[in-house]
Amino acid sequence: MIIAERKPFKEIQEMVAPYGNVLIVGCGTCVAVCLAGGEKEVGLLAAQLKLARNLAGQAGRLGEITVERQCDREFIEPLQESAADYEAVISTACGAGVQFLAALLKEKPVFPALNTTFIGVNEAAGHYTERCRSCHQCYLGITGGICPVTMCTKGLLNGPCGGTVAGKCEVDPERPCAWCEIYERLESQGRLGQIEAILPLHPHSRTTSPGTVIHPAYLRRYAAHE
Amino acid sequence: MSKLKDALAAGGFPLVVEVKPPKGVEVAGMLAPVTGLNGQVTAFGVPDNEHARMRLSALAAARLVQEAGGEPLMLLTCRDRNRLALESDLLGAAALGVENLLLLSGDYVHQGDHPDAKPVYDADSVQLLQLARELMAGRDSAGNPLKGAPTFFLGAVVIPEAQPLGPQRLKFRKKMEAGADFFVTAPIFDLDRYRAFRREVVPDGVKILACLKVSSAEEVEKAARGELRKVYTLPPAVIQELSGGDPEEVLAKGAALAGRLARQLRSEKLADGVYLKAKGRADLAAAFLQAAGF
Repeated sequence: MIIAERKPFKEIQEMVAPYGNVLIVGCGTCVAVCLAGGEKEVGLLAAQLKLARNLAGQAGRLGEITVERQCDREFIEPLQESAADYEAVISTACGAGVQFLAALLKEKPVFPALNTTFIGVNEAAGHYTERCRSCHQCYLGITGGICPVTMCTKGLLNGPCGGTVAGKCEVDPERPCAWCEIYERLESQGRLGQIEAILPLHPHSRTTSPGTVIHPAYLRRYAAHE
Repeated sequence: MSKLKDALAAGGFPLVVEVKPPKGVEVAGMLAPVTGLNGQVTAFGVPDNEHARMRLSALAAARLVQEAGGEPLMLLTCRDRNRLALESDLLGAAALGVENLLLLSGDYVHQGDHPDAKPVYDADSVQLLQLARELMAGRDSAGNPLKGAPTFFLGAVVIPEAQPLGPQRLKFRKKMEAGADFFVTAPIFDLDRYRAFRREVVPDGVKILACLKVSSAEEVEKAARGELRKVYTLPPAVIQELSGGDPEEVLAKGAALAGRLARQLRSEKLADGVYLKAKGRADLAAAFLQAAGF
């Protein structure tokens, strides 16, 4: 899932300072799971903003609403009506959701309440770690289910750098060296032969942003875009 | 014509002394070892933003070394350049007469003085060796023909004390396959560990420049406290030998130790030459030479 962190309150407060009525829109999917932008977090942000605005003597209404997913048109379209009474919108979605919402509410300023950080996993309550850089070329089948692009700080494709110390990463002594882990896992599975061949340069042309994926079943429908 | 290549081929036990490109444009200090020691040194190693600390470009520094009468061994890292820049700098080096290259991944940006810089690593060190080989064959990495192919003598890094050794061994083999002509080791202080690596891991005929380093007092103190997090170790006897005295005395003892290690590496045929890191100082390199008896 997408992992995000909430921006410092002061930054959010300053972004919406010029506006009276502000609608805070939560997202009920990834950012709700990582406790950054779901319904509860929207409530918390609204309470904080309300208190700060009262103290500052600022008038205006703060609205709250959370949709299933802000990255899906069918869930955000009803927000056009909800946002009509507000001068500005705060989105607690990831960057994709904020942009989708801003495109929908073209005339209205939409502000992000989160910093989107990575695609990762839920290790335990409140503990999230990165796993995927969405690089368009998955090496996991070769590298024993451990991603060299993401888990190696340098994203090296052909083995560890020269900075590995006692199986730990050059950059962080607490973090295992991804290539040591890849090697160990493949060795334990008797598959070391898979990483003997030199992997070629990564095809970065595929990662040129913004990316588009069209499911094969929909190729005909979207042929005009191709 | 690479003197380094000729010396390695002839079994001449070449010495490469590292210079330090300045943070700024005052280059006299960097060139002091070149003007002072040229007759006794085969080539001069030119680091590329070493430890991710921004300094004068290695390519410019390599050319300056050449103009001062020395032969450069230019380091080129993958950290700061994408494949276009790597290939372009490789061609630039060749056009300026820089033939010896040491190709490496490069220390991560967090370790240097520009921690917010974007780390590149478009290629890794194995792929960079392949890029250089492609250029030598008259093509760029996209398969386009070159107008005039460069000539290089290609070096790569190997870590004798890597723990675990398996992944490092894999990388070492890939570097050999990708076309490394010679290897430079991480600094060696522990001859027993290096001896085991040389005998068990390095195939016959692979040329090794053993890196010897003159440690600072700070590094020795860190090692003594067990806080030195490096890919090499200072054994207790070395720490004891180097400890004590003011920083200059520690450096002098370090140069003498490096000289002694060089003599031993040469007599036991454990290396084919030496890459000396002596803070870029001509006096320390001279002290090393005296101790080594070269």
